[in-house]
Amino acid sequence: MKILKVINEINSNISLRFYAVFYRDFRVWLKFYKPSIIGDILEPLLFLAALGLGIGKFIHNVNGTPYLLYIIPGIISSSSMYAASFEGTFGSYTRMTTKGIFDAILVTPVSIEEIVAGEIFWSAVKAFMSGLAVLLIAFVFFRQHISVLSLLIPIIIILNGLLFASLSLFITSFAPSYDFFSYYFTVAISTMFLFSGVFYPVSALPAIIRYIVYIMPLYYTVQITRALFLGRLNLLLLSDLLIIVIFFLIFFYLSVYFIKKRMIS
Amino acid sequence: MNDYAISVENLTKFYNNFSALNNISFKIKIGDFFGIIGPNGAGKTTILKILYSVVIPSAGSIDILGLSPANDAKKIKSRLGVVPQDDNLDEDLSVFENLMIYSMYFGINKKESFRRVSELLDFFNIAEKKNSKVGSLSGGYRRRLLIVRALINSPDIIILDEPTIGLDPEYRINIWNKLKLLNKSGITILMSTHYMDEAEKLFRNVILLNHGEIVLNGSMDHILNKNNNENITSTTGNAVDKNKNMNNNKSLKSLEEIFMDIVKNENFKSN
Repeated sequence: MKILKVINEINSNISLRFYAVFYRDFRVWLKFYKPSIIGDILEPLLFLAALGLGIGKFIHNVNGTPYLLYIIPGIISSSSMYAASFEGTFGSYTRMTTKGIFDAILVTPVSIEEIVAGEIFWSAVKAFMSGLAVLLIAFVFFRQHISVLSLLIPIIIILNGLLFASLSLFITSFAPSYDFFSYYFTVAISTMFLFSGVFYPVSALPAIIRYIVYIMPLYYTVQITRALFLGRLNLLLLSDLLIIVIFFLIFFYLSVYFIKKRMIS
Repeated sequence: MNDYAISVENLTKFYNNFSALNNISFKIKIGDFFGIIGPNGAGKTTILKILYSVVIPSAGSIDILGLSPANDAKKIKSRLGVVPQDDNLDEDLSVFENLMIYSMYFGINKKESFRRVSELLDFFNIAEKKNSKVGSLSGGYRRRLLIVRALINSPDIIILDEPTIGLDPEYRINIWNKLKLLNKSGITILMSTHYMDEAEKLFRNVILLNHGEIVLNGSMDHILNKNNNENITSTTGNAVDKNKNMNNNKSLKSLEEIFMDIVKNENFKSN
């Protein structure tokens, strides 16, 4: 009951005013957008080149799919995960602590719920830009091999961005310093990157590890993105989609609750 | 209609077992220039933060413009202007961008924001810095910009937490003059300071805090005028103040001397 009360209170304090928080972050990003965009494009390109062209020479296909095409959906998902995670940790933490941006906004009618919502939305947009860059590269080079269902991938990227932004804000809510994020990236983000089926089918893993993978949100994004990319839809993907939405909602409410606790004493 | 912009009754704040504020009560009339003075750690900032809803009180009741912070925080904040003690201007943006984006937080449309920003920058003589990055501004300009930012929503009340701390006399006087003009225009001002000369020059009514308690509460005229001693509320029943003042009628005591007497006596009592 207490949880429902907290959720209701959070919902009642959110309006479209969160857009102002998002817009502030976007305006600042516009001042430095060139290096950011180059990074978004270059990093996944390096992964695709090194793994797809390098390892792809030895692994010709996975379940009948050429290796390069197999890993592209994984790279789309993981690059959006990284973008949302960096923004939701280092970016939001800087605005919350050293720059005092949250403090400045808190004395205006913008609520803490709207601040968190604005931050999450901005991180999700960055995730979207990052994932979209890989998708566009794929369209340019592999157009003839990609399903038309790939046009739905941007929706999944945005959902993935919202999920990882919320998770990152939750981590940020109790981070005592920047150093804390190295644990998060090593233990959570890198583990998901390596084990969520980005580079190989999860079925190749021992059963005990597979069960751990099933609690990793990235696994579900990779599953859906790959199915859309290769045009292999099945009904189980709906449950994957639902799991992503549930993960997002859980971490969204947790992040709002704990950031509020941190900011308002 | 309520004559008071702010009414505070029996306000108490604990941080774990530490008592930051103990049973504070005061009222601020609409249009007043009200001051909170006291040494560092007296509880000045805690009171202000409670009033602008970033600190939750442990006990007590607050009424701001007929509204309660517990239920109407958003409505109250839309009618407040806040100048915090810590400079939290947006370093990544220019002066103009800082103000335009800040006005978005209040839901002010772009055209109206532009008009207000231009007017306020002119009023505070910083229009020539409009396109400068905040990081390149001197301390005086930054302080003025913080005040401009607090005025962007045309507030009924401005809360300033030690707004002239660390500034040159020239900048301080400049800010005093602007604040007096704003107060004359009808804006209620609540300000904390530990500069006694500043308090004497600006405040009409004042509370003196020490160790989270009000030790003096009254109008500045009465506090400074020893012949009107009876109008001074020494909330802790501190008779020493009155006796000292009555015995020293030869010359008027400054606020700083009164302040020192009370603080010394309070500290003596608590030891």
